[in-house]
Amino acid sequence: MTRVEKEFASFRDPSGFLFYQDDVLYRQVNQEYQPHYDRLMESGLYQDLIDHGLMVAHEEVDSVKAPQPDLAYKIIQPQKVRFISYPYEWSFHELRSAALTTLRLTRMALDHGMILKDASAYNLQFVEGSWKLIDTLSFETYEEGAPWVAYKQFCQHFLAPLALMSYRDLRLNLMSRLFIDGIPLDVAANLLPGKTKLNFGLMTHIHLHARTQARYAGKEVKREEVKGKVSQQALIGLLDSLRNTVKGLSVRTSGTEWADYYDDTNYSQTAFEEKKAIIGQFVDEVQPNEVWDMGANNGEFSRVASDRGIFTVAFDIDANAISKAYIQVRKNRETNLLPLVMDLTNPSPGLGWAHRERQSLIERGPVPMAFALALVHHLAISNNVPLPKLAQFFSEVCENLVIEFVPKSDSQVKRLLASRLDIFDDYTIDGFEAAFKTKFKILQMVSVPESERTLFLMRAKK
Amino acid sequence: MRFIILMKPLAYLDPGSGSFIIQMLLAGLLGVGVGVRIYWKKIVAFFNKKKGTGAQDDLDDLDEYGGKDDISSTDSDE
Repeated sequence: MTRVEKEFASFRDPSGFLFYQDDVLYRQVNQEYQPHYDRLMESGLYQDLIDHGLMVAHEEVDSVKAPQPDLAYKIIQPQKVRFISYPYEWSFHELRSAALTTLRLTRMALDHGMILKDASAYNLQFVEGSWKLIDTLSFETYEEGAPWVAYKQFCQHFLAPLALMSYRDLRLNLMSRLFIDGIPLDVAANLLPGKTKLNFGLMTHIHLHARTQARYAGKEVKREEVKGKVSQQALIGLLDSLRNTVKGLSVRTSGTEWADYYDDTNYSQTAFEEKKAIIGQFVDEVQPNEVWDMGANNGEFSRVASDRGIFTVAFDIDANAISKAYIQVRKNRETNLLPLVMDLTNPSPGLGWAHRERQSLIERGPVPMAFALALVHHLAISNNVPLPKLAQFFSEVCENLVIEFVPKSDSQVKRLLASRLDIFDDYTIDGFEAAFKTKFKILQMVSVPESERTLFLMRAKK
Repeated sequence: MRFIILMKPLAYLDPGSGSFIIQMLLAGLLGVGVGVRIYWKKIVAFFNKKKGTGAQDDLDDLDEYGGKDDISSTDSDE
């Protein structure tokens, strides 16, 4: 008996939709999209995009029945994306890369007589070392003179959050969590400092854009009154201007709380290397095919897994550390590591229509293995989470857990306790073991040489 | 009238009236810039060699051109 289920988040675009059959993801391409699909495949655009690693590949399949046969033109099976991440989980540099990739895609499409009909940041994913479009149905035939339908969306999904991060605060990437279709331009214009009006790109694409929107909001614009068209050269001018504006935005990637963490711990070089070796040994024992490193900083220990060819997601609350990790990934052309910004005390929730368009973090698991290194004290002491609740959380996230216990005598914990009352009587290695034993079987326990820390390998109880 | 033709039925996004109007104005202006820039680039390229800098520029190269190796194949501005 085959089980067919439509992907909940795939409902906006009438060109087609995603569905699962027996847990394999397929896409139905509808008849109304046929001319555009055929053009994508036959113009050479598809091949170009695949050759440059700019879109996920797909295969046409005949063996799968269309869920809506009266509408169907074709069924395709897209390349599997292991982990879907969202713009509010991306660092500045990741969003910036996704923005430039979107513009590059659009330019490439134009060269083949097509154009991107939407510019949603959710359509891009960092897969195997490059940003790729995951929505095969995003292109449509370009008609000379037509404006770019996705212009507003590009400004809301990319330009506004990038400008806010660059000019105000890196943590404003979280605003994309509040506004599912990108940050409204009037909001962005209100929040950006006045000096952004001196930047030609931001002045026009955000400030003037927002003002024009307000001026015509709710007014019926007689289409006949809108004269003129956007020539291809003008469109290229617009795209180039967006590109230059994005490229003009930057942030500093040093001098935050965590970016220099490893220069400022009580680790000796030996402890550091030993810790890596122990984790490597745990990984080799379990041989997971996916790892989540929770509290990864700049991905130093995530790479113990990803360098072994294991797909690894590195989460950290510090957007700056994640930017650094990402820049490193691109520089070294690493293909197995995905760095993401995540506050584990308040992880990404289910969002959008009926809470189901964007998945919560836990819904995207569980994974065969998770790391929680130098993390427990932050959650237990800084955030007051009782140890049994930590054990519960990790048992929902992973099957195998590599977790480091950092005792009160460690200088990092001392620092956390320096400014507050120590109300954590259970925070001992025995209390830790007792709490985790309810949810996990402890397989190994190794103390890290030249430190006061202990590494555990645990397996979640079924 | 042209506007109606341009709003194809496939455009499932609402492009927004204000966004359309500002785009038309900007595109006109920037389109002229493209023409000018083509010639300007040729002049600048004649005098200047491209200098590589910093991590961000390296990222840009990767995102925009897929790495320096294939700049020529995709940087088709002109």
